[in-house]
Amino acid sequence: MFRNLRYVLFMVILTSLLLSACQPTEVIKTVEVVKTQVITQVVQGQTVEKVITATPAPTKAEPTKAPTLAKGSVQINGSGATFPLPVYNQWTFAYQFVDPAVVINYQGVGSGAGKKAIVEGTVDFAGSDSLVTDAEYAAGKDLQMLPILAGSVVAIYNHPELPATPRLILDGKTLIGIYNAKIMNWDDPAIVALNPGLKDKLTTLKNKKITAVHRSDGSGTTEIFTKYLTAVDKNEWKAGAAASIEWPVDKAGNGVGGKGNPGVAAVVLNTPGSIGYVELSYAKSNNVPFAQMINAAGKTVDANDKSTASAMSDFAGSLSDKLTADLVNGKGEGTWPIVGYTYLVIKMKDMKDCTKATKLVEFINWALTDPSAAKVAGDLGYSVLPKDVQTKVLAKLNEVSCAGKPVVINK
Amino acid sequence: MKSLSHPATANPYLIKLRNFWNHGDRLWNGIIMLMAVLVLLIVLGIGYLLWIDSSSARELFGIRFIIPTLDASWNPVTNNYQAWPFIYGTLITSIFALFIALPISLGISIFLAELCPGWLRLPLGWLIELLAAIPSVVYGLWGIFIFLPSVITPLGNFLGSVLGPIPIIGMLFAGSIPAGGTSRLAASVILAIMITPTITAVSRDVLLAIPRAQREASLALGSTEWEMIWQVLLPYGLSGILGAIILGLGRALGETMAVTMVIGNSIEGSLSLLRPGYTMASIIANEFAEALSNLHSEAMVQIALILFFITLFLNLIARLLVWRVARRTPQEGR
Repeated sequence: MFRNLRYVLFMVILTSLLLSACQPTEVIKTVEVVKTQVITQVVQGQTVEKVITATPAPTKAEPTKAPTLAKGSVQINGSGATFPLPVYNQWTFAYQFVDPAVVINYQGVGSGAGKKAIVEGTVDFAGSDSLVTDAEYAAGKDLQMLPILAGSVVAIYNHPELPATPRLILDGKTLIGIYNAKIMNWDDPAIVALNPGLKDKLTTLKNKKITAVHRSDGSGTTEIFTKYLTAVDKNEWKAGAAASIEWPVDKAGNGVGGKGNPGVAAVVLNTPGSIGYVELSYAKSNNVPFAQMINAAGKTVDANDKSTASAMSDFAGSLSDKLTADLVNGKGEGTWPIVGYTYLVIKMKDMKDCTKATKLVEFINWALTDPSAAKVAGDLGYSVLPKDVQTKVLAKLNEVSCAGKPVVINK
Repeated sequence: MKSLSHPATANPYLIKLRNFWNHGDRLWNGIIMLMAVLVLLIVLGIGYLLWIDSSSARELFGIRFIIPTLDASWNPVTNNYQAWPFIYGTLITSIFALFIALPISLGISIFLAELCPGWLRLPLGWLIELLAAIPSVVYGLWGIFIFLPSVITPLGNFLGSVLGPIPIIGMLFAGSIPAGGTSRLAASVILAIMITPTITAVSRDVLLAIPRAQREASLALGSTEWEMIWQVLLPYGLSGILGAIILGLGRALGETMAVTMVIGNSIEGSLSLLRPGYTMASIIANEFAEALSNLHSEAMVQIALILFFITLFLNLIARLLVWRVARRTPQEGR
């Protein structure tokens, strides 16, 4: 058999030659084809309305746009968090009409993979729900995080014996108890004490068992939620705060993990007597009832744009040098306590292509300031930055430079 | 110039090259062998990569990583990892799925090959193959919204009350099933539905390939149809059917999406089928994209390595079984 080996060798060389000859052009072609397909699909879908309303406003915002750039000639690639993906998809689509020269690709591959990609230089920007680690800062040199949106996490629940109103009220300690498997029944005194309006119902339930549902996949939602539990009581909540953790309630045999927001919601909806946590945008768009919370100021609050913005304002003063902040358990009276930023990660000085750098900065500036961009985000259940935070981010954006020269944004 | 044009004095390398191109068989052999070598290279490449990429996790955790324990820990925050709950989850769900699927699919294939009226054979065969073509995420969706609450929860409660008190088997049916139905049992049943068409289609083809003379000889000796099927057809086709079972088991072991959606993804320390569990493929699918640290992803690569070895090992056993059986069975035309 092995006398044929040289023919094999010959074939290997031949195929590799063939492959190397045709690969680059092939890849570019397929990318182009895919892109046009995506665009046409979106055009046929219902997003068109929003885009049309989104277009007129920003035209005055970019008077010095270089006219020499051909349509679609600047390709900006990003990847990362899936949490803000719906917003980014709408933004990048709408932005084609704001600046036809720019095509932005954003792939939702997960925060970790996105950060890895920008450190390795395979993308121009990354999206991330979690912080860039020290090791990544060291490897990526001039990485900068920019908060761009905030999202809230809510505790959804399903108990057929409880009425739709008044809604359940919970606080941080109770959530810790539930996810620690210390509070295992709906008629636990801690829950009853928080819900005077539901007292009669809660104490006479037939099905008393609480099933605690959590995300099974590593996710920013889990990170925000567990950060909150840690912030409420570090001594009681020992499991830590991260994108995926070891749930005490699982070990006690009282927990179930669902994949993604839809997975958690599906398990909660199918399991009478269960509590889970999902993003506010998801709970809203799917009409899943969620509990109100008692915040650090002792007030009962509901999750919405205003209470999320209030959380951001609470922490506006404590933004770090890298513009990061944990938005959990804020002190404000109207603050929703379980909030987190989602960030864009960019390079401050190190982008190779200066046209690209300019266009990227212009895009981020548009996303932060344009009213239509804010409306898209709001419609999808995300909150845009309040004025005080926005100013800081824009100031940082003004410091971006390329090849030693500052990248100027026109205001 | 002149010498080149004359065949007798031509460059010997050119002659060789011409012979090479003229002789199509060799070229053909080369291409085919290249394909075969590619498969080997891919398998070796995957194994090598998994081995290298899990090196520090293997060093750090050693045998503790895979020893059976009811109190296993998988903690990305403190970087402490043990894989037993996932190994157990994968094995128990796959084996139980096979346990459910085997009689069903064997029955279907016997029916299709031997007893089915002609007009039903084709549409039924198509339907079975269609079932194999449904993407697993669709099974998962259907499972979580329809199948689990309406079938698995009552089934789990029933099994728990009937089999739970029995001494040894009872361990597999201890505890109560969550109201939503997410459990190892749910994963097993969904897997059983998914592997049934695979086993059925292959064993049907095996049965159909058995020479007519075998059936006729058996019937001529006075056996009933039942005896013909059980004493002649099944033993004759056993090696093929074993192959089908291994194909099914392979699919069950590696199935990710549907299982992740219905198993409950919880590492609670119970052996029961009625409780939520976790599988090796699900933990990788769930946490790899957002791995917190190098060690976290290395631990998952190590799980992939274990899964890789389990699959290899199973295939090896299957191969041996098939060989043994094939040697025993008289084959026609040899």
